[in-house]
Amino acid sequence: MSSIEQLERRLERERQARKAAEAIAEEKTREIYDANVRLQQLNNRLEELVGQRTTELAAARDEAIRASKAKSDFLASMSHELRTPLNAIIGYSEILLEESEDLVPSELRPDLEKIRGAGRNLLGLINDILDLSKIEAGKMDVFLESFDVVALLDEVGATVEPLIAKNGNALTVNCEAQLGMLRSDPIKVRQILLNLLSNAAKFTTKGRITLTARRRGLSGGDGVEFEVTDKGIGMTPDQLTGLFRPFSQADASTTRKYGGTGLGLAITRHFCRMLGGDVTVDSTFGEGSTFKVTVPDIDSDTALAAPQPVWEHRVVGTVLVVEDGREATKSLAGPLTQEGYRVITAGGGADGLRLAREGTPDAIILDVVNPEFDGWEILRLLKTDTDLCDIPVILVTVLDDRDMGFALGAAEHLTKPINPKELLRLLARVQRPEVAPDVLVVDDDQSTRAMLRRMLVKEGWRVREAANGAEGLEQLARAVPAVMLLDLMMPEVDGFEVLRAVRQAAAWRDIPVVIVTSKDLTRDELEWLRGHAMDVFQKGAYSRAELIATVRAMVDAARVASSRMVPPGRGGG
Amino acid sequence: MKGIVFTEFLEMVEEKFSPEIVDRIVDGAKLASGGVYTSVGTYDHAEMIRLVSCLSKETGIPTSELMKVFGEHLFGRFSVLYPRYFEGTNSSFSFLENVESYIHVEVRKLYPEAELPSFSCDASEPGHLRLTYQSTRPFAPLAEGLIRGCLAHFGENADLQIEDLSAGAGTAARFVVTQRDARRE
Repeated sequence: MSSIEQLERRLERERQARKAAEAIAEEKTREIYDANVRLQQLNNRLEELVGQRTTELAAARDEAIRASKAKSDFLASMSHELRTPLNAIIGYSEILLEESEDLVPSELRPDLEKIRGAGRNLLGLINDILDLSKIEAGKMDVFLESFDVVALLDEVGATVEPLIAKNGNALTVNCEAQLGMLRSDPIKVRQILLNLLSNAAKFTTKGRITLTARRRGLSGGDGVEFEVTDKGIGMTPDQLTGLFRPFSQADASTTRKYGGTGLGLAITRHFCRMLGGDVTVDSTFGEGSTFKVTVPDIDSDTALAAPQPVWEHRVVGTVLVVEDGREATKSLAGPLTQEGYRVITAGGGADGLRLAREGTPDAIILDVVNPEFDGWEILRLLKTDTDLCDIPVILVTVLDDRDMGFALGAAEHLTKPINPKELLRLLARVQRPEVAPDVLVVDDDQSTRAMLRRMLVKEGWRVREAANGAEGLEQLARAVPAVMLLDLMMPEVDGFEVLRAVRQAAAWRDIPVVIVTSKDLTRDELEWLRGHAMDVFQKGAYSRAELIATVRAMVDAARVASSRMVPPGRGGG
Repeated sequence: MKGIVFTEFLEMVEEKFSPEIVDRIVDGAKLASGGVYTSVGTYDHAEMIRLVSCLSKETGIPTSELMKVFGEHLFGRFSVLYPRYFEGTNSSFSFLENVESYIHVEVRKLYPEAELPSFSCDASEPGHLRLTYQSTRPFAPLAEGLIRGCLAHFGENADLQIEDLSAGAGTAARFVVTQRDARRE
């Protein structure tokens, strides 16, 4: 076999191998091409699917937004529709209860109490559901302002007192002397504390419930820690899980036994977190529970400042406060300034007499028991001075020396701790001229008007009514009232328009307007109202007494202001 | 059997013996393919057995010995042709442990029809690696050659013990690689 032949054979093998390789390469190339085409088709189909899905999602999102808007609108209008008659039910049952002692057989009293109680429960429930839906819709706003923590605690204590007493419980409020002012949302803090306290009251029988407040350094600044402790039924670790979730109570049997919706704690936690704090719980089954709430001082630079009410700048009178100045002067001055009084403070007897002469105050608030000076002596000097003896003096004391005070010529008497509203009421009373003031009630709901009329007339005021905004303006044109109570949602001319018109007219600009509404207000509306009205009673979550106290304070303030405008000789000081 | 084994085999024969021997064994083996191989093709493994057997007759060297020599040679070629399978391995143990779990997996991706032997390994004893070869074809000696080639590639001193598990058929065997250092201990 020649090597040439051998080489030829080898060459032939190589050639064939090359062809085989080429055939394989071509086949593979075709396979790859086909695979690519399939991939491309798959990709196109996928893009088509994604596009289709995106369109579907966008439609679903739009639908959800529409549904959510419809839900919000429905809730807002429901809140108004439900609260208006509920307010009437609660208001009338309160009036009946008060008058029932003489007019209604006593066996009907429990029935009336049930009507009032059920009305309040229903109102609370409606408010809770609305709060929660607002929180979930991200529409719950925070309204920041500086408030006196002790005053808030006093008010919360007074509000829950009947609830605490119901199961034979007693409430102890412990707070540090230097709690001072807190910058946060006082309405929400109040609701947080009320929720926790009413829970404690509900689950405790014949026990002690403690509310403690202390200043504390919190992460990110200073703040206040509130603690609500009860000796109630407590919770097991299992029950503690999910405690703060909406519609969950410790278990279903709890709901049957104690009632409630299980919304309170969910709202409480939402509120705490909205305020930059939190709520925690510590509980032992059968022994009781402790809820701890932290509320930080929200820095005014970083947060939205609440608008200053235009009313703050209107001086309705001058008050001289004679105190040793250690703690209480500040807490007296706060509410007085807020109500439009100019406050002068004197730290001792000599100062007090000098300022009484120089400052021509409309009233003097005098602390008679303190280690720094003898208050009784100052009272004697004031009342024996011909220039000063006409200035009414309100005594502040820890002792029940009412008779001695009156004997020495004091006009009114207050005991510590001082309730700011009571102080304002007395202050107005000591300066009151003898004309029955006139209150204009503008509301389209007949039963609400009638109810307000009865409440106001009972206080000795004259009442005029207007069934809508247009009528309200007519009534204003006829005569300027001491105070106007104004509803917001009315046909034709609504409350906002009335208020706008009132604030634009020079003759009406100073009329104190109190908004009484069951409309669920937005942040913008509330801020606008705060700038244009004296007070806003919202959601029907106020008691008759609160409304009366506010109207009274305004009537009195208006009176003082008008008395200061009349020529000397007729005025009160 | 993948074409690369055939093309590499014939090149080795040409290089280590002569082109004439290649021509003779291709002719003598009476191959269906006619000895026309391309590395990307796939051919009947029986042709390899016939080629080796012809080469044995031509040279007087036992077939198993020829297989081992070819295995060692083939491993060296693999390291040149497929360097990516050597990335991240720095010893015979780490490479051999990868054969079943990585290399065979990758080969199957490219050639789904390939019939590969199983090559399970047990490294539980430090310094020892037990590899168990199992196949439908009698290429245990080729596997042994590949293992030796691997040890040579990484320049390691190790002992290799072979235990036939197929009663001389060459379709199953256990290889125990023992590092020299481990043995002294």
